[in-house]
Amino acid sequence: MKTTANTWNIAGQMPLISLILLCAATALLTNRFLSPFNLTNILVQSSIMAVIAMGMTFVIVGGGFDLSVGSTAALSGCVAGMVMLEAGIAAGVAAGILAGAAVGLANGVVIAFLNVNPFITTLGTMVLVRGIVFLITGGAPVSGESGLPSEFVAFGSGRFLGIHYLVWIPAVLLAVLSFVMHATPYGRRIYATGGGREAAYLSGVAVRRVIASTYVWCGGLAGVAGVMLAARLQSGQPTAGEFYELTAIAAVVLGGASLQGGEGTLYKSVIGVFIMIVLGNALNLLNVDSYWQRVAVGAVIIAAAAAERLRSHRASSQ
Amino acid sequence: MFKARMAALTAALIVPAALAVAAPATAQQKVTIGVSLAQDDNPFYIAMLRGIRGRAQELGWDVATVSANEDKLKQINGVQDLIARGVKGILISPIDAVGVNAAYDAAAAAKIPIVSVARGSASPNQTIHVAMDEKQIGRDIAEWTARRLGGKGKVALLMGPSGAPTFRNLGDGYSEVMAKYPGIEIAFRADGPLTRERGVKQAEDVLVAHPDLAAIYTANDDVALGAMQAVNAANRKGKTLVTGMNGVPPALRAVKEENLAMTVELNPVEWGRLGVDVLAAFLKGDKVEPQVFIKHVIIDGANVDAKLPKT
Repeated sequence: MKTTANTWNIAGQMPLISLILLCAATALLTNRFLSPFNLTNILVQSSIMAVIAMGMTFVIVGGGFDLSVGSTAALSGCVAGMVMLEAGIAAGVAAGILAGAAVGLANGVVIAFLNVNPFITTLGTMVLVRGIVFLITGGAPVSGESGLPSEFVAFGSGRFLGIHYLVWIPAVLLAVLSFVMHATPYGRRIYATGGGREAAYLSGVAVRRVIASTYVWCGGLAGVAGVMLAARLQSGQPTAGEFYELTAIAAVVLGGASLQGGEGTLYKSVIGVFIMIVLGNALNLLNVDSYWQRVAVGAVIIAAAAAERLRSHRASSQ
Repeated sequence: MFKARMAALTAALIVPAALAVAAPATAQQKVTIGVSLAQDDNPFYIAMLRGIRGRAQELGWDVATVSANEDKLKQINGVQDLIARGVKGILISPIDAVGVNAAYDAAAAAKIPIVSVARGSASPNQTIHVAMDEKQIGRDIAEWTARRLGGKGKVALLMGPSGAPTFRNLGDGYSEVMAKYPGIEIAFRADGPLTRERGVKQAEDVLVAHPDLAAIYTANDDVALGAMQAVNAANRKGKTLVTGMNGVPPALRAVKEENLAMTVELNPVEWGRLGVDVLAAFLKGDKVEPQVFIKHVIIDGANVDAKLPKT
């Protein structure tokens, strides 16, 4: 068996160690980093991507891949906005999340039951869904005559117990979904399927249904993120969410998940998101040129993937 | 085992080390202003940033930039990072009139003035908007064209992307003036992307439909340069006037070579400088109008020599 997520060794905790070192180094370089304002900043900035990365973790642990999350988030945000303007906030939020889950279901059915490659399938839905978003919105932002309902807009910046609503959502989701993944038979089936589809099948796991379900989670969570995004942007934005899939995948891999499947942990994926966001925040606070920022972010992703590779190489040679 | 652990640690150390190398020395006593432009890889914004940096340097200010690259959430996050940094004022070119309102709200909450340059925002927290007088530019282009045509002929309008208010205003100003000339007929009007490829295609089609076309209005120099290729290919050089907008160097050269009839200079370097000046006046406590217009200059054969880049 490969290194399990629970093993408390230094390599297994590398994401957390990297995050702590990154924060410590930034705090040493600028005293503004640890200010309450900036720490709140980082939490809010991470919130939407954290929700997407959790969905991506389901798919990647199950041995798959999803490029369509950015387009799905845009679809959900716009659907939520349009329904909300007609039928109220609750209906809008529900419609947005359902739209995301529907895209996930479509991905899952094509990949699991028609055996189409996940990369190609979700590349297709990424483009197709973006097209649908432009069709239903006419390419213009969704905010009605006088904006989205004010309670919904207030939700995008409001707080509960001093913490933004946008931060509570991933916090609660992380607790609930970690339980699903680690403490239920269903969760174990996802790991088993991703770790070895044939072996899982032979031991009685309905692998096709498990795989399809991971895409529904991913789409549904992208839907949640899309609704959060609409609250944050005070409008449904057809062009929102471009390249989010790449950030989410990078965060999940930074969090130690294996693109081979069967490995990965939700909270570590969230740490991966924090690494990406803190890195961007630090580079901004230190006034690093935006062109250099791209170079730095790319280098960090490659370094993390290389470290992951060395680690799994060691684990498999033991 | 040891080797793998070292590899893990090395990777963990790369990030802070890269930061330490990249971080410039910060001078605390200087005034720092923050800049968040819609894109950092577009020549217009690159030139604007040059103007901002140049003017800030003259005032002894530091400039902190964050990039957005047309991602609204990234722009909001970047502005928050600037506020966390403690900047005294922010110059922003918002991606969208509504989508980045949270950035304006954050600046207002921190009592930092936020000045929009070029694109504007609908946010009530926008301190000042420095912009071009879009309708007036449209009117000026139309007046110039009508005079050159002697008040008669068919014209085609290749406008900008649908939904973008800038291009709608330009087109409205243009149409408003043309409506006063009974001899001028708007024979064609279409929205589209601001690319050379689209300029060629659409101008080709229009010239087939209206071989006697007297002028083509375009919302942007790239579209104009494309339309110009189609006009030349149809042997209509000098007979179908093509007008541009923006005054980029290739368009200036085309005006010099009489392939393009005219363009409008919107010197983005000057926009950046004006943005800094407006912010400086506001910070000093001077009264500044909520809307500041930047001046534009029509460039045609008569004055193009003075505007061409020195070689």
